[in-house]
Amino acid sequence: MNLGYLFGYQLAGRAGLRLQRWRSEWRHARTAPDPDRALNPPLRSTIRMREMMSLHYLEGRHVAGVRPVAWVTSGAPTEILKSMGYFLVYPENHAALCGARRHAEGLAVAAESAGYSRDICSYARTDLGSVLSGTTPVGSLPPPDLLLCSTNICQTVLYWYRVLADHFGCPLVLVDTPFLYEDEAAPHQVDFVRRQLEEIVPIAERVARREFSEEELGRVIGRAKRASELWLEILNRARHRPAPMTAFDGFINLGPIVDLRGDRQTVEFYEGMLAELDDRIDRGIGAVRHERYRVLWDNLPIWYRIGPFSRWLAERGVNIVASTYTHAWGELAEMMDADRPFEAMARVYLHPILNRSTGHKLAAMRRMVADFEIDGVILHSDRSCKPYSLGQIDQRDRLVNQVGIPALLLEADHNDPRSFAEEQAMVRMEAFVEMMSA
Amino acid sequence: MASITLPTRREAIAEARRQGRRIAAVLPYHYPRALLRAHGFHPVEVWGPPGVPRDEGGRHFQSYTCDIVVRATSFLMGGGLDPADVILIPHTCDALQGMGSVVADFLQPSQPVLTLYLPRSDRPSDRRYLVEELRRLSGRLASITGHEATAADWDEAFAAEEAADLALASLYAERSRLAVTDRGFYTAVRSREFLTAEDFVAMAAGLPRGEAPGEGVGLTLSGIVAEPLDLFDRINDAGGRVVSDDLACGARRIYPPSDAADPFERIAGRLIASPPDPTRGSPIEERVRMLADLMRSTGAAGLIVFDVPFCEPELFDVPLLRQHLGEAGYPVLHVEAELGGSLPHQVLTRIEAFVETLR
Repeated sequence: MNLGYLFGYQLAGRAGLRLQRWRSEWRHARTAPDPDRALNPPLRSTIRMREMMSLHYLEGRHVAGVRPVAWVTSGAPTEILKSMGYFLVYPENHAALCGARRHAEGLAVAAESAGYSRDICSYARTDLGSVLSGTTPVGSLPPPDLLLCSTNICQTVLYWYRVLADHFGCPLVLVDTPFLYEDEAAPHQVDFVRRQLEEIVPIAERVARREFSEEELGRVIGRAKRASELWLEILNRARHRPAPMTAFDGFINLGPIVDLRGDRQTVEFYEGMLAELDDRIDRGIGAVRHERYRVLWDNLPIWYRIGPFSRWLAERGVNIVASTYTHAWGELAEMMDADRPFEAMARVYLHPILNRSTGHKLAAMRRMVADFEIDGVILHSDRSCKPYSLGQIDQRDRLVNQVGIPALLLEADHNDPRSFAEEQAMVRMEAFVEMMSA
Repeated sequence: MASITLPTRREAIAEARRQGRRIAAVLPYHYPRALLRAHGFHPVEVWGPPGVPRDEGGRHFQSYTCDIVVRATSFLMGGGLDPADVILIPHTCDALQGMGSVVADFLQPSQPVLTLYLPRSDRPSDRRYLVEELRRLSGRLASITGHEATAADWDEAFAAEEAADLALASLYAERSRLAVTDRGFYTAVRSREFLTAEDFVAMAAGLPRGEAPGEGVGLTLSGIVAEPLDLFDRINDAGGRVVSDDLACGARRIYPPSDAADPFERIAGRLIASPPDPTRGSPIEERVRMLADLMRSTGAAGLIVFDVPFCEPELFDVPLLRQHLGEAGYPVLHVEAELGGSLPHQVLTRIEAFVETLR
């Protein structure tokens, strides 16, 4: 084990971050609700989440040579790699972090300078810009020994990971998930994905020089399942009036279920978050002080405007209580099965909302409108996420004309602020809020 | 010769119907022609079309959506696909995924909408999956026609379609000995998109042999679709000539032969073994190697990547094509143009300047 890993991460790093958390929690405990603010104080759990994610990225700075490293897509079946001790880097999560901290534009420009078009996904440009410039707000990312890419969120990731494979010269493992135009996966589709999952094992063993253990995989899947169940319970707590959290809290606290799924600490974290929400519900505390309108968000968030957006909405009594995006990491929990790991994983990773038809997504939104007592829907038409966005025009029309609620198609980009006309967007948002009050 | 004369799409459809075939409107770009034929369908491809305005398609797809998808949707909504008995939308990319889903779920044309998910690699598991996916498609077609393809149907379909595929491959192999302009050559190549297999074979055999007209700097053309065909005249005017291509509407569909006995194995084997292609997930290294070999063997001095806007599979590869082919001594120009009637002046200027630098 190298000294940087031992001192920089395991000893000093951990201790420093824990101290930072204690300080933040102490301050949070002393923050009284401000009657002049439209939002109640943020969730205490978010402080713990920040520590976990900081610790994860800190480990990444020192992990090269200590643990095998894999870069993976956000919908990849990571349980296999996790069970073999891989350290996982999620370029999409890293890009989102860069977006939230307003670093994405500069990194995207670095990628564009190297010839990457502004018309490709801004997560990819952010990440490629980071790789090419060696710049990241997290210090540094460990280079991959293996790339694992699953097409269950888009084909973009395959184009992107082919570029990474060329750059790093390491193996790229593909889990290709046929798009589900019909309601459920057909047997040959499940069989195809199962075979590919099984094919990961020998490659991962060779790269890591470690043996795969099905027993350990079962343990990881068990924890991933529990964390996903908790995550779904957390999101569903927003059905309560007033909702104890906003979808923005969901976006922010998504990190562990994406990046650290299968870890024991992730289960503990979400147990704590659920308890905090239940406490808020018991005490009648809503995330938005005077919740008047409850809104559903479709698609990725606009990472660089999360704070201003949530405040602007809260000032008008609007709480975005649910999102199709955050639910994606919880709604498949029931399919996970540690006793039939490969078969169950094949089903799980075929069925994310992004791998399903536009009609399925509309049906999911209709259900959420009913379950969360939604007054209006914002469909983020995300220039950088075409598979999520194509279909929204017809979905919006049906929400308005068949469900009978206001629905706004908001043009933006999840990570590139240059593709967001803020003034124009806010005028449309204002009109949308007025429509809900009509 | 400056140009060649071919039946129109309408005439080709009439001829196919006269032969007792139904019509399948097919979106780009890999699909099982022999399977369609064995079930009594004649494929007519839909690459836009370029002359159709975006307006109607723009009511269903955002402005950042691929031109082929938006114009094809306009065409569908305007009744352009009414002569078709089925619509087949292969899953080529996220944009065609969106189109397939929106058309099936929301637009719901009178014809059945069929989809086909092509695997993104060439492993044994990919081949096995594709065989089953082709069986599924075959089942759908059989349920539409009420007729299962017989062994005789398959034999007839393979004989006809593989002869046409061979004719296409021969056109490329004989390119330098065909007395046709670049425009004429690609008019001939692209007639495979709508002619019956027999008519295509006859057309290919009838092309005049001799010395290829025109001189100029040899170029390889890459991208999805070379549209408008005026592009070739402008390249010639600038002092270039297209000696080879890596176009989705062209050489990417030269499928190698297969002698598998099972019809589904045979089709899957051929589709999976097609040339390196970003939409099929081929490693960039393979694509670069193929392009460098192609350019060397055909005497090309540079590569023009000609794309429709928002084509992610192409856009991700461009910087690395530029880097790796540049290292091999082949400059790369990337230009984008919508499918509309004429090429933007800016694109022409860039092509002219590129050819000038290669002289």
